[in-house]
Amino acid sequence: MKKLLTLLILLPLTLLAHLNIAVSYPYIGALTKTVGGEHITTTVLAKGNWDPHFIIPRPSLIAKVRNADALIMNGAQLEIGWLPPLINRAGNPKTSPNTPTFLNLSHHIELINKPSEVDRKDGDIHPDGNPHFHLNPENILILANVIKEFLISIDTPDRAIYEKNYADFSKIWKEKMVLWSQKMSDKKGLKVIQFHDNLAYFNKAYGLSNIGTIEPLPGIPPSSRHTIKTIELIQKEQPCCILHDVYHSTKTADFISQKTGIKVVLMPHDIESLENIDNLASLFDYLTSAIK
Amino acid sequence: MKKILLSSTLCAALVYGAEVLPVEKRTFDQSKFIPDISLILDASYVDRSVKDDEAGHLELPGVAHGLLGSHSHGDSNHATYNANNGFNLNYAELVLSSSVDPFFTMDGVFHFSENGVEIEELFFTSNALGYGTRIKGGKFNSNFGYLNEQHHHTWDFADMPLVYEAFLGMHGINENGAQIQWTAPTPFYLMAGFEVLQGENEQMFGNETIGDVENPIAEGKDGPTLYVGYVKASYDIGNTTLLGGLSYAQGESRINHSADEENPHAFSGDAKLYGADFVVLHALDSYKSLKLQTEYLARELDGTQYALDSDANVIGSPAILKKQDGLYSQLIYTHDKNWRMGVRYDTILRNDIKTNGATVEQPSNLDKYTAMIEYHTSEFARFRVQYSRDNSMFNENGQREKIDTIIFQANISIGAHAAHSF
Repeated sequence: MKKLLTLLILLPLTLLAHLNIAVSYPYIGALTKTVGGEHITTTVLAKGNWDPHFIIPRPSLIAKVRNADALIMNGAQLEIGWLPPLINRAGNPKTSPNTPTFLNLSHHIELINKPSEVDRKDGDIHPDGNPHFHLNPENILILANVIKEFLISIDTPDRAIYEKNYADFSKIWKEKMVLWSQKMSDKKGLKVIQFHDNLAYFNKAYGLSNIGTIEPLPGIPPSSRHTIKTIELIQKEQPCCILHDVYHSTKTADFISQKTGIKVVLMPHDIESLENIDNLASLFDYLTSAIK
Repeated sequence: MKKILLSSTLCAALVYGAEVLPVEKRTFDQSKFIPDISLILDASYVDRSVKDDEAGHLELPGVAHGLLGSHSHGDSNHATYNANNGFNLNYAELVLSSSVDPFFTMDGVFHFSENGVEIEELFFTSNALGYGTRIKGGKFNSNFGYLNEQHHHTWDFADMPLVYEAFLGMHGINENGAQIQWTAPTPFYLMAGFEVLQGENEQMFGNETIGDVENPIAEGKDGPTLYVGYVKASYDIGNTTLLGGLSYAQGESRINHSADEENPHAFSGDAKLYGADFVVLHALDSYKSLKLQTEYLARELDGTQYALDSDANVIGSPAILKKQDGLYSQLIYTHDKNWRMGVRYDTILRNDIKTNGATVEQPSNLDKYTAMIEYHTSEFARFRVQYSRDNSMFNENGQREKIDTIIFQANISIGAHAAHSF
C-alpha cells in the first residue's frame, strides 16, 4: 500500500520533470528525442506517411499543442496549411511564434531553390525556398546542433546531458555519412525525374540532377499534356529513374514507366513513411540504397 | 587618442556600411508590417424552377420566410446568396489578419457586395493567458454547433443547411460580443466555451423595441441579451477522427415583420436553441477521405405574437409557443486534390405551434435533397455544380411549391494562404 502511495505521489513529479516537446514531423521528433534523451518526451503531430503539406488538422492535435512545453517546426511554409489554426486554438503561450519555447528550424538552414519571383501562376510555391531540407544528411547535423542549443536555452541545468547526447549522435552520424557517400559515389551526375521536388537537398548532397517533375507545377496535379512532355523529355535525356514520394498515387509515374521503360523508385521522405523505417539512420540507409 | 578615435570611426563605417543610402531608400518604410491579406470571390449561375419574384415570397410555414431571393427592408435591399436566376455576385470577401502585439492578434473579414460592405467579422483574440484559455472580443461567428463558425466559402454546399437558415438566417449566430474558450489538459480534445452576445439575430434573437418608442408594440431590452455555451470533444481511432459537440443558446427574442406588405406581424418573447453535432472523418490517404457531418437543432420560442394592420396597429396579440426541430446530414467524398462530391439531406422534423394553448396545424414532410460535385484547379480555385430538390417551401396560398435548383458556383481566392480548420 505504502509503495503504491509513494508511486502515486512520485508519478506526477517525474512527469513534471519532463519537458513535453511538440514537433510537427517525425524526423524532428526523432532528432529531438536523440538530443534530449530521457529528459524530454516528444509529441509528433503529423504522420510520417502523410503528405507533409496536407495534414488533416484533427482536433486531437489541438490538445497535443495545448499540453506542450515547447514547439519545434520545420518552417519555410511547409506547415502553413495546417499548423497555424492549431496553435491559435490551443491557448498555449509556450507554443506561440516569437517566444523562447518556439523553434522554426528553417531559420537555421540555407534554403535552396528560393524563387526570384513569387507568383501563384507558377503553382503553390514556397516563397522562402525548398522546405524539404532534412533530406541532406549534413543538414541533420546542423539541425541536431540547433535543437541542442534550443534545449539548453529552455533547460539550462541539463546542459551537460544535451551536449553529451549531441556529441554521441554527431560522432555516429558522421561515420554513417561517410558510408552513405561511398554508397552513392557512383551515382554522381545521374539524371532523375521526381513527382514533386522534395528530394532537392538529397540530390544536391549526392550530385544527382533532377531534370523534371511529373506535376506540371508545384501543387498542381499531373495533366495529360505535361505527362506527354515528360515522356518526350525522358526519351531525350535518358534519366535513370523516377524517384517517387510515398503519398502521391504512382498512377501517372507507372504510365510513364510503361511508355519509357524507366523504373519507378519509391523514396521515403520521413520516418514511418514506409515500413521498417523507424529512425533517421534507417531513412538514409534506405534512400542511399534505393537507386540501383 | 586621435588615432583611437580615427580607427573607431573607421570601424563604425565598416560595420554600418560606408556608403550613404540612395535617396529613394531613405523612407519610413512600413511595408513589412502589412497584415496577411486575401480576397475571395464567390459568384454563381443559378437555374431555379420558380421565378425570382415568386421565390422571394415563399415561406417555410410557421418557421421562416424570405429564405430565397431578395426583398426590401424599408430603404435597404437585402439579398440572400444565389438570389437570382442567372448570374449572381455573392460577395468579395476581404480578409486581413496580423498580430497586434505579443498579447493579441486581430482578424477582419469584410463582405463587399453590390449592396455595400458588411463587417462579417472583426475581432481580437488572445492566447497569452495560458492554461488552454483563449479569449475573443468584437464581432464574430459564434462557435455554436459545427457549421456556425465557418464562412460560406468553406461550406461543402452553395447554400446553408435548411434548419440553420430557417432558424438563424444566412449568417447564423453572427454577433457583437465576447467569447472565452478553454481547452482541457486531457490527452484527447475537450473544449468548453461561453459567449455573451448582443443578441441581434433577425430570425430568432433580438432585443429591439418594435413600434414607436412612445407607445411600443413590444418593449425592447438593453443588450447583451444572448448567451451561448458549448462543449466539444474529439477522439481519434486510427485514421478516423470523431468530433461531437453539444451547444445551447438562450436569449431575448424580437422578430419584426411590421413593415411586411402582407400579414404584417411581430413577435416578442424568449428563445432557446439546442444543438447537437457529430462529425466523422475517415482519411483513406493524404488526399482521399470520407466525411459524415450531422447537426440537430431544436428551438423553443415562447412569447406573444402581434398581428398588425397596414398602419401597424395591433389587431390581435395571442400567446404563442413554438417548438421546432430539424437536422441535416451530409456525406462528402474527397477523391483527390481535384475532385470532391457529396450529398445532403435536410429536414424539419417537428413544427409544433400553439396559439393561446390551441394547436395550429402545420404541414409536415418539410425536407430537401442536395447533391454536388466540385473540381479544384488548385487549392485556390474551386468550381462546383449543385442540384437540389426542396420540398419545404409554400406559396402565399398555402400550397407546396417543389423547387428544383441548379447552382454553378465559382470560388476563387488570391493572397495569403488560407489554413484549414477541422
